[in-house]
Amino acid sequence: MSAGPRPIRTRLAVTLLAYGAVALAACLLAPLVGSTSISLSRAFDRSIPFADNVDAQIFFIARLPRVLAGAIVGAAFASAGVVLQALLRNPLATPFTLGVSAGSALGAILAISFGSALALGPLLPVPLASLAGAFMSAAIVYAMATRPGRPISTSVLLLAGVTLNSFFSALILLVQYMSDFAEAYRTVRWLMGDLDVGGFGPILGALPLIVVAFVIFARLSSSLNVLSVGADTAATRGVDVARTQRLAFVSAALATSAAVSLAGPIGFVGIVVPHLVRLMTGVDHRIVLPASALFGAAFLVACDLVARTVLAPVEVPVGVVTAMLGGPFFLWLLIRRG
Amino acid sequence: MATYPKRLILLTALVAVAGGVWATGSAVVAHAQAETGRQASVRDGAPVTRIISLVPALTEVLFAIGAGPQVIAVSSYDDFSPEVRALPRVGALIDPDVERILALRPNLVLTYGSQNALEMQLARAGIRTFTYRHSGVPGILDAVRDLGAATGHAADGERKAREIEAQLDAVRAVVRPFGRPRALLVFSRQPQSLQQMYVSGGGGFLDDLLQIAGGANVFADVPRESVQPSHETLLARAPEVIIELHSTGMMAGTGVLRERSLWAALASIPAVRNDRIHFLEGSYLVVPGPRVGLAAEALARALHAEAFE
Amino acid sequence: MTLQVAHVSFGYNAGYDALDEATRSFSLCDVSITIPRGSLTGLLGPNGCGKTTLLKLMAGVLRPHEGAITLDGRDIDGISRRKLARYIAVVPQETHPGFDYSVLEMVLMGRHPHLGAFQLEGPEDIAIAHESLSATGTSHLASRPYMTLSGGEKQRVVIASALAQAPDVLLLDEPTASLDLAYQMEVAALLDRLNRDRGVSMVLATHDLNLAASLCDSLVLVRSGRVLAHGPTREVLSVAMIQQLYDVEADVQFHEASGHLTVVPIRRAQ
Repeated sequence: MSAGPRPIRTRLAVTLLAYGAVALAACLLAPLVGSTSISLSRAFDRSIPFADNVDAQIFFIARLPRVLAGAIVGAAFASAGVVLQALLRNPLATPFTLGVSAGSALGAILAISFGSALALGPLLPVPLASLAGAFMSAAIVYAMATRPGRPISTSVLLLAGVTLNSFFSALILLVQYMSDFAEAYRTVRWLMGDLDVGGFGPILGALPLIVVAFVIFARLSSSLNVLSVGADTAATRGVDVARTQRLAFVSAALATSAAVSLAGPIGFVGIVVPHLVRLMTGVDHRIVLPASALFGAAFLVACDLVARTVLAPVEVPVGVVTAMLGGPFFLWLLIRRG
Repeated sequence: MATYPKRLILLTALVAVAGGVWATGSAVVAHAQAETGRQASVRDGAPVTRIISLVPALTEVLFAIGAGPQVIAVSSYDDFSPEVRALPRVGALIDPDVERILALRPNLVLTYGSQNALEMQLARAGIRTFTYRHSGVPGILDAVRDLGAATGHAADGERKAREIEAQLDAVRAVVRPFGRPRALLVFSRQPQSLQQMYVSGGGGFLDDLLQIAGGANVFADVPRESVQPSHETLLARAPEVIIELHSTGMMAGTGVLRERSLWAALASIPAVRNDRIHFLEGSYLVVPGPRVGLAAEALARALHAEAFE
Repeated sequence: MTLQVAHVSFGYNAGYDALDEATRSFSLCDVSITIPRGSLTGLLGPNGCGKTTLLKLMAGVLRPHEGAITLDGRDIDGISRRKLARYIAVVPQETHPGFDYSVLEMVLMGRHPHLGAFQLEGPEDIAIAHESLSATGTSHLASRPYMTLSGGEKQRVVIASALAQAPDVLLLDEPTASLDLAYQMEVAALLDRLNRDRGVSMVLATHDLNLAASLCDSLVLVRSGRVLAHGPTREVLSVAMIQQLYDVEADVQFHEASGHLTVVPIRRAQ
């Protein structure tokens, strides 16, 4: 649990290399496996026109975007989890603690139930509505918890998030109740997460937001350790606490919103991955943050691999797989402590 | 003291699992008991003048066999004719309004197989129930006959059932000389997305209709009524014909074009390559009721246009 | 560096939302004190008198509504947080990190103000951290998790962390409040040594009159947000002053064996 005597520069380089290799390996190997067996040589055979090449279509349309989406979403959830845990000074915080996922779920569910007629050109209504819902709930939480120039009270932030989660969950139930069977089932299914995006378009839509969030994460990384010791202590160690807290909240909300709009609210990634990483690398956020992003990518890609192959041709929703791993994981943690 | 919490946690987990198994077991037993109880609750003979139907498909059957005037209330989802729309509503599968049902003093209530609690309440009030479980096209024909008997329209019921059987046989005959194209039957889809698509698996009345109409379900090996295929599965199963069923108007002009272009991305699917994607619209396609004959014919026309020249 | 507090007023409710004078309530009113270089000043006063608020103002964590705080003449409001933290460090009353940091990691956080935005600690920073640990007698605890330490050890580590900032001024809020007698003496001796050897100015907010008497060369007495007295310990720590400050009758004597004043409370004043 303690930091070894090796200096952080070495440790960070080694960690990035090791976790980067794991993430890369996952992304390279996952598209090779699936519910159908395909011939790789045929898939990459340029002489066959793409429109006729089933193996190529499966590889490039079905699997590759799916793996990429899994990597990006996994990295986003895991790193947003780390940042929020530092902000709230609590390793049990998740990207969904502050109400963002409930807002995005409400947006998506409204679009599924009532938005069938909406056509906004190339933009899809459900991801767009989910993004709008996420932004709205983040804005409400932000407004409730911040006062100009003053540091954010983490307890008010937490309370605002919990309040919004309950309120939006109630609204979601109401909307589901008023929809017909098919729509209600679809909303339940959406809540379980789905990485099968079928193309690079949806990924490109979410990517700019996630990239912006990651840039802010990198900037925040060095302040997270100090921030997590306490707001006043952080201020006396030279951290602009008000600004750092706001940036942490906004960037985590941005990453979470984009990830949820792409793949639905996949749970447990944002809490299991940081925990696992901390067990392996110690608690220094400058290492935990990038390591969690990389491990989160590998983790979700692996979970999705299980989801789409274990009961083929029927797919298990990826959120179910992460939940089934997450629950026992925490049980094991508890037993270990005791 | 250190191992005490550990043991406690394991014990709690064991109790939870045992409790879950016991609860499931007793639910299964209660269900079986309810099943046998149900057969006894429908008797011929006594006049049935006030019928409430919670199952839209059965409401259609009632009207088709001439029992329409006896229907006094329907479910929230019934709307296949102006007469039905004018009737009072009493909820549906998950929210039947028991008070309203009792207040209307029916002497026969048509319920879903899973509404055990409702049936027990009605039994206590001395009201007869007719229970329906979706069981494919044969189940529909049985329901037509059984409802005919239960509502004093036995002859009409028999006639209607024969009529439907004749329609189905006619469709079978027309398509028999032709092969069985591999078909994907989509019955629910989020517009503008191929994710969250529900297609017919190898069971249920949609699969029955597909077989009658001369098609081979690409998911015949999955013994479920609905399957949610991934892009990979769609590409791998490579259907020759894709039929999308829509109950009401999403398909107006640009809607169809837009949805057609969605499939274009999966160009290696034979149905896409050969432009054999059909969008069919109408509630008769998705309601397992007396109009299944028409549904079968519509599917047959989509699968075997050449048979209907 | 000389830290000067000039006519500072501050109120938690006196912000932009308080519209008229009547509704404003100040925690501190017109406070002026000077902390000369190398001094060891004690901040005394009853609960709620504003000691902690004053420390926060001096650290730049809070901004005064009136008046200014200057460091060698420069208004600290104009100095960036990061730069200010290189001059002024704070040892808070309690430190509860949200995560299981090791002692060395806690102390290295003191180097934060000296590092750039994307910079990581280098060998010099690590050397300074180790030096701070040895100065506080906690080198042997470097790889232990902070949370597993005793109260006295934790406090010394926090002091080491503040020392790693290499500050000119050290502000301490009740540094011996939760410590037993042995640790109290240890920390007191440590602070004395640091003040003498490194020339770090210190401001100590404390309830412990005897600690203040033994350690501090000057005292600031604060009551209800105003400065009651400010001067050398021997002059300020008198029976009359203690009565005014705490409403307590006490006896103040010079104690030969320890070499400083001692205060013995007798009874509450009527």
